[in-house]
Amino acid sequence: MRQISAAYIKAAKELIREKSALFWTIAWPIIWVLIGSFSFTGSAPQAVVPYIKGSIAISMMVFALMIAGMSNLPASIAGDRANGLLSKLISMPIQPYRDFLGRIFAVVTLSLLAAALVIVIGIAVGARFTGTGVEIPQAIGFVFLVICASAGVGLIAGTLIKNLQGAIMTGVGIAVITSAISGLFAPYEALPVPLQTFARVYPISSAQASIVHLLAGPDMVAYNPLTSSQVTLTIALSFALLVVGTVLYTRLGWKLE
Amino acid sequence: MCAVHIQDLVKTYGSRRVLDRVNLDVQEGEFYALMGPNGSGKTTLASIIAAVRMQDSGIVEVRGKSPEHAKEFIGYVPQENFSSPKLSGKENLAYFASLMGYSRNQANQLVVEMLENVGLSEEADKRVAKYSGGMRKRLEVATAIFPGIKVLILDEPTTGLDPAARRAFFSMIQEIMDRKTSIILITHIGSDAELASRVGLIDSGRMIAEGTPDELKRKHAVEDVITVETAAKTHSVLSLLKDFSINGRVGESEAGYKIYSQNGDRVLADVVRILDKAGHKVMRIEMARPTLEDVFFRLTERHLQEATE
Repeated sequence: MRQISAAYIKAAKELIREKSALFWTIAWPIIWVLIGSFSFTGSAPQAVVPYIKGSIAISMMVFALMIAGMSNLPASIAGDRANGLLSKLISMPIQPYRDFLGRIFAVVTLSLLAAALVIVIGIAVGARFTGTGVEIPQAIGFVFLVICASAGVGLIAGTLIKNLQGAIMTGVGIAVITSAISGLFAPYEALPVPLQTFARVYPISSAQASIVHLLAGPDMVAYNPLTSSQVTLTIALSFALLVVGTVLYTRLGWKLE
Repeated sequence: MCAVHIQDLVKTYGSRRVLDRVNLDVQEGEFYALMGPNGSGKTTLASIIAAVRMQDSGIVEVRGKSPEHAKEFIGYVPQENFSSPKLSGKENLAYFASLMGYSRNQANQLVVEMLENVGLSEEADKRVAKYSGGMRKRLEVATAIFPGIKVLILDEPTTGLDPAARRAFFSMIQEIMDRKTSIILITHIGSDAELASRVGLIDSGRMIAEGTPDELKRKHAVEDVITVETAAKTHSVLSLLKDFSINGRVGESEAGYKIYSQNGDRVLADVVRILDKAGHKVMRIEMARPTLEDVFFRLTERHLQEATE
């Protein structure tokens, strides 16, 4: 427990003190909440504008979670490998999974902080949500699925890509490209059919659609992401990504050769 | 019991054999320097002792156990700076103390002690990004000398340090030695290795010589070099000086003579006396001690720095 807590405190402090991490994880999504809320709602009927803003805030919250997991986590892993900390850790009586848990908890903390700030700013600029009662914990469950899937991708990138800048840019690239082609930045109905299929299979866009469906209303989503088969697929793929990332990190991430 | 015992150690990377049947024993409380050029295998050897890498064959034991099972005794300071620049010195040390299993209270108490031991108490709350190279290296050594650590492995710790930082570093090492911790210093700098009680010279993955610095110099017949300048350069001075050199080796330099001797201290005094008695005025006389670099050169016909480059 002490080792997990030590790894958590170190990773959390480093993330909070890294200005670029804070910018891309918190400031950038907030900027887009502000731009989206004032630029993309002009032609919509007044009654639905608050829910469109709510939907935009949720999309940007999901993007913040993606950046935290897919870019900040591999940056932390690759950075520690590049600066020799990994060699030091291997020489110490510490198990890789404890370091892994500490890092993941730190990313979860930053993710939740980013998510909360994005939603608060969204509400401040007029976003409204319909979700009540059981829908809120369900939405929080999907938030955790986004964190799991993003962290899984981040662990894979951080393990396989040894170069620090390479790991960061790969994570950012995956986050931006998959967001663009899965309906996170554009309406689902505007995507070509193959990408609509991808948006349903990709667990992060599917979870995002579920959160929007639960909190901003079904009218804000072009398909029903809450069917049992769709939810099962989202859960299974999110955990699969996390498990693959974990196995790779604990087996290969701590090997120097 | 040996602190470190290595027997017939072999390690290859692909088809390249980087360590070739290496044998090495380091006693408890001993300060052992492993000196060799870059690519000689010394860092690989250190990382195997530190349980970071595995050997292909041979025996490696730290206090009678395999390194993997002796991690609680091993303090390893890799060549790269591994402390986090975003954390303060205190936070870095607290992190490593917690990884070693100390409770928060114990860790906080230890951190204060360790920072004092390495002379960084006043810089404790400063972020490591603002530390000098020497301060950062001292902090990193502190992460490797927690109570219970019996073998400290330092990989090229003085690379990039200025002379003052280097002096401060080795006075700290002296204090660590007083606690009977065995120290293995990996270096390509002869003057660093001179401070060790025993030195192993490694080249192309093989141990080519081992002994105390004085033993190595004596055994491999590396001489002191005495430079003498007299008021006039004459044949009579040259023939007088030849009696003091090894096999009559007296070299002429631009302004005087160079005498090669294995007993420089005695020769220095005798030369002054004899020249004075013969009426030759000594304008300048100085002695250069042989270095471990000279020993390395004698054994490999290569200069250590050239080999390192």
